[in-house]
Amino acid sequence: MKQRLLFITLSILVLLCACIPSFAADTVNITFWHGYNEDSGEADLLVNTLIPQFEAEHPNIKVTAVSVPYDSFLTKLIAAISAGSAPDLFRSDIIWVPQLAEQGALLSLDENMPDFEEYKAAVFEGPLSTNYWKGHYYGLPLDTNTKVWLSNSAMYEKAGVPVPTKMAELEDACKAIKAADPNAYLFSADGFYAWNLLPFIWSFGGGITDEEVTTADGYINSPQTVAAYEFIMKLYDEGCISPLIMGDGVDNYSGFAGGLYADISDGPWAYSILNGQFPDFTFEASLFPEGDGGSIQVIGGEDINIIAQTQHKDEAMEFMRFLVSKDYQISMMSVGQMPVRNDLAESDEVKNHPYFGIFLEQIATSKARTAHPNWAQIDSVITDAGQLIARKEMSAQQALDEAAAKINDLIK
Amino acid sequence: MKRKRIIKQSILTLLLLLGALEMILPFLYMISTALKGPVFVFEFPPKLIPSAPTLQNFRTALTKNNFGHYFLNSMIISVITVLLILLLGSMMAFSLARFKFRGRNFIYGLVIFFMTMPSMSLIVPQFVMADRLKLVDTLSGLIFMDVAMNLPFSVFLLQGFLADIPREIEEAAKIDGASNTTVFLQIILPICKPALATSAIISFLGVWDEYVWATTITNSPKNWTIPVAIASFQGVHTTNWGLVFAASLIAIIPVLILFISLQKYIIKGMTAGAVKG
Amino acid sequence: MTKLKDKLFPYLFILPGFLFLFIWLILPMLSALNISLRNWNIMPNTPKPWAGLSNYSQILGDSLFWLSLKNTFVYALVTVIGQMILGLLVALMIDNLVFGKVFFRALYYLPVVTSWVVVSLLFKFLFNSSPSGFINYLLCNVFHIIDKPVSWLTEANTAFAAIDTLGIWKGIGFAMIIFLAALQSISQDLYESAEIDGAGTIALFRYITFPALIPTIATVSVMLLIGAFQTYVPVAMITKGGPLHRTEMVVSYIYNNAFTNLNFGYSSALSYVFALIVFGLSRLQLRAFGGQKGLDEK
Repeated sequence: MKQRLLFITLSILVLLCACIPSFAADTVNITFWHGYNEDSGEADLLVNTLIPQFEAEHPNIKVTAVSVPYDSFLTKLIAAISAGSAPDLFRSDIIWVPQLAEQGALLSLDENMPDFEEYKAAVFEGPLSTNYWKGHYYGLPLDTNTKVWLSNSAMYEKAGVPVPTKMAELEDACKAIKAADPNAYLFSADGFYAWNLLPFIWSFGGGITDEEVTTADGYINSPQTVAAYEFIMKLYDEGCISPLIMGDGVDNYSGFAGGLYADISDGPWAYSILNGQFPDFTFEASLFPEGDGGSIQVIGGEDINIIAQTQHKDEAMEFMRFLVSKDYQISMMSVGQMPVRNDLAESDEVKNHPYFGIFLEQIATSKARTAHPNWAQIDSVITDAGQLIARKEMSAQQALDEAAAKINDLIK
Repeated sequence: MKRKRIIKQSILTLLLLLGALEMILPFLYMISTALKGPVFVFEFPPKLIPSAPTLQNFRTALTKNNFGHYFLNSMIISVITVLLILLLGSMMAFSLARFKFRGRNFIYGLVIFFMTMPSMSLIVPQFVMADRLKLVDTLSGLIFMDVAMNLPFSVFLLQGFLADIPREIEEAAKIDGASNTTVFLQIILPICKPALATSAIISFLGVWDEYVWATTITNSPKNWTIPVAIASFQGVHTTNWGLVFAASLIAIIPVLILFISLQKYIIKGMTAGAVKG
Repeated sequence: MTKLKDKLFPYLFILPGFLFLFIWLILPMLSALNISLRNWNIMPNTPKPWAGLSNYSQILGDSLFWLSLKNTFVYALVTVIGQMILGLLVALMIDNLVFGKVFFRALYYLPVVTSWVVVSLLFKFLFNSSPSGFINYLLCNVFHIIDKPVSWLTEANTAFAAIDTLGIWKGIGFAMIIFLAALQSISQDLYESAEIDGAGTIALFRYITFPALIPTIATVSVMLLIGAFQTYVPVAMITKGGPLHRTEMVVSYIYNNAFTNLNFGYSSALSYVFALIVFGLSRLQLRAFGGQKGLDEK
């Protein structure tokens, strides 16, 4: 009886073990992890049109595209790298690159890709710079984006003022907006993190660290950065910035479309979200308001990186060339992905696009976030400084002096 | 007397109905959002009754992306895992509750310690293990891990239950010459029905909803489970919440069916096992 | 011969389950222990310098860890007690029903089967600070308890009020189902004879029901406590640990150290310290309820 029971248990175990890893012999199989939603237009175009096209041109290479949800991408990638079974190449958020490069997980292209210089010259400089860490380039940009100033047309019409183009005009615009509707706010952002604050800091002429990322002293606590933080706090205290920035309130899109927020600062994806759910809503886009430092926004987007452990370096690079090729970049524009090639900036495809123009104009004056493996922690210091000042637990100068010390610890 | 009883019953029912109203709130909200069509952001003020209800999200969830296939995967994994847990868990609990042997307290301590260890911190070593055993991107890899992660909990529950049950019947059977295995199969398992049913409900839910390991170990959609599929509807900038909620609502159905069909065993089994008192 | 067989029997019965635990929990835990004693990096086949106990000694001065431990502890205490009391109350009420037992059991179990992500989103909505947030609407416009909307989610205390409410609400059904099962095993004869002696409802509960439920209370409270200590999804969804990490929970702190900062050595050390603390607490708890049945006796 007992034996039979054990036998049953053991046979279940054996049955479960019968799994079959299979290998194709003559073609090289490379794996590519992308972060597109499985049901998105991007994934559909990539998997059903573009990859088959690549495979037809390169009969010896087979590409397995894996859709990995953004939230679990890094976790999954790190586990796979630890086990030595990472994909050959992947589409990464630009802020992950320094951290992974520092660990030795990425293949440097300037040392391994014979025609790297050619590609380096073909793509936008800002997005390319996000691949640079300690003297080497670890990838190429795949797509880029930034944020522009989006305005609720009806609210401005009702307030009877033009959309502000300078930081100095924000207060007056706010007064007019609030005069038309006391419950309204001029601007909304969903927190104090760098993605939201950097445009203000940079446009005021401030910064986080020096170019070489050696010190934050004199940058995050410079008079310009302090002025930027104080400016935001003043607007917040006057009820011009929505409480969402503290972490609680009506979210950006519904507040914007619902007539609560006159402006938000957002990327090209805002168009599909807003048009998808609020088809009757009209809004307009302009450059981020200009300050003493100019109209400087943050560069977002994705890079394409090859894993150092790959057994198929050449095939991975060949696929990478395909991803930054002119044809590919033009195809992906149809699903809302902004190209990174210089020769497309002036192309008809971009010029005829309903909204890429303003974003490309803004990208020209945009900057990348500090390239550093500890960026996530630096971002957290920037966020905390905002909270401390907004809660009046510290003065702007005091909070930013402390932030400078913390960031220096993180980058030393 | 009878009248007093009717009043008491009415008050109880009324109170329970009031409480239940709060319990089903998320469902009304989920259903209403799922019926709204594409919902990328939530409306303010929230509208409970959609102005133009549509079944589009349910249709998309069911037809797109092989949802049926993921459903089947989740079913296979959950059913095999729960059966294994019930078998292995009751065997372990029987040993721990009924025998004195060297290492018993140690093993029992380990069982509790396993439950207290944050599962996140073991993901990387566990993934390396799965990779060595060639279990990455297989359903077996999911089943093995789900069994191991949910087993301690069931052992704890079953052991606690068994320790409460008097041993008279077993001892009588033993005097009649029954072997330990016979006692386990013919006396212990039937007595344990309520605890087994509870264990089944809880571990089924745990396995059915498991996301972190499932997304870490699977690569190809053919091995996806429902939580991975639902997470894949969420993007960096856009999430179609209508679709996510529609899919979540569909995913709840098997758990509810299991619960409703097993709960009667909890009650019946309990009264059958109540030899004390 | 039979003696040997009898001696081996418990081991044989433990072995199959133990194999699973050995491969998927014990070996990974030993690996995590090794990681916690080194300056780990994620690349395989690279040297991982020995760090001794330095990762552990670093914990002592890590105020964020202790803050998150305090947060998690308070959350566990509040939600476990809340779930037990309300779960027991609902179980008693349903147990006394003549009609609709199955119906109510299923309804109260609904929150248990709903995903944490979905209910966290819901609670974020209910507690929204804008005037149309449901809770604020109730407090201001319906019950007139407060005169202006509370900004629940931007202060640690009020944010935890929302998160604790969610934790209790979601777990009532779980406690209820186990209490219901336990209530069935109390002999009806006891109640009947006590009723004949003229005992009231409260006396019946105090002298018959409650004592009979103590072993169940022990099991449920340990399970709920351990579960509560692993909670992070509602906080991640509702406050993201903010403001200023004041609502940070231990598990997300451990996760961030590993997967955001890639500091696996430190993260593993934190896990061990945390697991030992929770382990100690649950042993204490079991002892307080009169020892784990059938184990510590004699």
